[in-house]
Amino acid sequence: MDIYLDNSATTRPADSVIKAMRSAMTDGYFNPSALYAPALAVEKHMNGCRDQIRQALHANGGQVIFTSGGTEADNLAILGPLKDRGPGGRVLYSAGEHPAVIESCKALSAYGYEVAEIALQPDGVMDIDHFEAQLTGDTRLICVMQVNNETGAIQPLAQVSKLRDEKCPDALLHVDGVQGFLRHDCPVQAWGIDSYALSAHKIHGPKGIGALWVGERVRLSPILYGGGQEKGLRSGTENTPGIAGLSAAIASYPKEHAMRTLKLRLLERLVAGIPTLHVNGPVPDSADAADHILNLSFAPVRAETMLHALEAESMYAGNGSACSSRKQRHSHVLTAMGVPRERMESALRFSLSPDVDTAQIDAAAQAIIRNYDMLKIFKRR
Amino acid sequence: MRELIMVRYGEIYLKGLNRPYFQNLLLSRVKNAVKAFGGQAVLHDSRIYVRGMTDTQSCIRALTRVFGVHSVCPAVEMEKDDFKAICAQALQLMEGLEGTFKVYARRADKRYPMDSPEINAQLGGYILSRRPDLRVDIRTPDHALNVEIRDYAYLYVRVYPGPGGMPVGSNGRAALLLSGGIDSPVAGYMIAKRGVSLCAVHFHSFPYTGERSKEKVLELARTLSGYCGGMRVYVVPFTDIQMRIHEQCPEDYTTLIMRRYMMRIAEGIARKERAQALITGESIGQVASQTMSALACTDAVVEGPVFRPLIGFDKSEIIDYAQRIGTYETSCLPYEDCCTVFTPRHPVTQPKLDKTALAEQRMDNAEVLMAEAIEKAEIIDL
Repeated sequence: MDIYLDNSATTRPADSVIKAMRSAMTDGYFNPSALYAPALAVEKHMNGCRDQIRQALHANGGQVIFTSGGTEADNLAILGPLKDRGPGGRVLYSAGEHPAVIESCKALSAYGYEVAEIALQPDGVMDIDHFEAQLTGDTRLICVMQVNNETGAIQPLAQVSKLRDEKCPDALLHVDGVQGFLRHDCPVQAWGIDSYALSAHKIHGPKGIGALWVGERVRLSPILYGGGQEKGLRSGTENTPGIAGLSAAIASYPKEHAMRTLKLRLLERLVAGIPTLHVNGPVPDSADAADHILNLSFAPVRAETMLHALEAESMYAGNGSACSSRKQRHSHVLTAMGVPRERMESALRFSLSPDVDTAQIDAAAQAIIRNYDMLKIFKRR
Repeated sequence: MRELIMVRYGEIYLKGLNRPYFQNLLLSRVKNAVKAFGGQAVLHDSRIYVRGMTDTQSCIRALTRVFGVHSVCPAVEMEKDDFKAICAQALQLMEGLEGTFKVYARRADKRYPMDSPEINAQLGGYILSRRPDLRVDIRTPDHALNVEIRDYAYLYVRVYPGPGGMPVGSNGRAALLLSGGIDSPVAGYMIAKRGVSLCAVHFHSFPYTGERSKEKVLELARTLSGYCGGMRVYVVPFTDIQMRIHEQCPEDYTTLIMRRYMMRIAEGIARKERAQALITGESIGQVASQTMSALACTDAVVEGPVFRPLIGFDKSEIIDYAQRIGTYETSCLPYEDCCTVFTPRHPVTQPKLDKTALAEQRMDNAEVLMAEAIEKAEIIDL
């Protein structure tokens, strides 16, 4: 059987998700904007999903806008409040952000904004002192992700929010929660977050659907124009099967799971077999490390080689971020952390889901060690 | 009046008694190229005429990739006796064009009452009288209005250059050593252009190279087959040989020895494919395994000729060529390549043949491994 440890790239849709989507297509296929009763039922179901998202984020109020996924949600959160609202100011993002955030921020420079990056510490957590230094009075937007997709570093959102309140209370705080949603708590209002992006396919939902939660003080303009759906903020007939899938994914995501224990078990086994192993990211059992992501360097074995060797045994892990493996460059996250080249080129990301069990972790550890022992001899000199 | 595409060929004209053989081969290549667009090709009067196509632009694009074609002209075919009608049609062809022009008349039918200079003058005068914005420039005109008087009159203004060369199949068959890099597809293109039909040999080193790197190579082969009309690709499992070399041979010789095994295996496959030569993308001094001494060492292990059409090219010239033939972007995809996996730190640049052979002898069971690699090669017909 396959051992799938690339859940930060995407997850296998849960059975309940597939069932809900099937039913949304066979029975609940109506356009939610139509006037007849079955359409109203679809709309109610959509609103039910909005409530689920608010609840998961501990939010009383705020809007939930459905999007085509995390990338669009980030684009809307970043461009929506600022693109036509001169006269500029500062936009800050942490160096480990996903390209959806970085590129959207950079796009704002065409509208007269000054865009600046916040440095990362060697463990992948953003450098809060550097952030404080960058946080000027004219800052309009701060983008910090909840959990880094490559290293699993949990970002200090509460601290960021506190500093923002002290030095620049009007600045909006956008959080890309694609890798954190449901896996780690994020009380958006308590932490002073203004917008939060999420994606269904990282939590066993379908691809092509995501959402943006926005708090009361955000004045959002649309980035897509058309029939005025989602209160004019995201035109286009709603992806109702996708929303049904997202809703089922949230409902079935387990409250309790063993991902952290299993992650640490994997690490422990690997360290025993491969003493030179290196963790890229926070100390795995610290509070800064996410439960489900482990980024490891197997120098001198190149990441691509190890990945294919595991692939031959039906085990799948990630090489950096899946979004960029078509481009030849080093991971911008590991680069920002100052990871040396050889470690970068041998870095694999293991990302777990609640479905992964002990037997799979043990089998994976065994296979990795066995392949490592064989491949390390044939290194590139 | 009928619209058609006139295909002109170049080098075949120089052939003597066997010219019909080349003409017919080219005709069959042209027929293949236009088949998808419903075009029908006939050879007549030293031209190939394509008629009945549904999509002229795509048809032209396909024809400009057929080796042996000198140029491709969308033309109008009409009765030649009514010169006024020819003038009117010519005026229509000049519509929308600006600047200077010149009339090029060719009177293949010598019975035609007007001779070429007369047609030039009359037709030029007619156009000028209706289009006072145009001017005549007989040295470097912006547009050439061509009129050919044959069984019919043929008029055309636009001329698309073809790739030249000779029709594929007219000059035998060769095996191309195809990596995922920039050079080897260009080398294959150049030899195919001389009428040589190709098969390709690719070395795959799983797990050092993955499915994506194989797919990249097949994509390159697909682009090449757009020119040479189909190609068979052998994907040779090469990991065992590479590992054995790495384990048992001196480090500075590993790349060179690897190249020698690639040549041997490629020659084995060439024999199976009845190919008479090997093609590589090497150019003198580009890397350590391509110095003159290193090339001599790789040549020494094969019997047949090895064609290296890029031998005198700079990298930048090869890149220009790759961009022109449409392989450059695919070649630049980042996946690992079999050649770069075990690169030694200090490869030997001036190897001696006897030393290389000695270094190579340290390998156990090389013959068996090679036979296995050829046996287990995956065959993909494109």
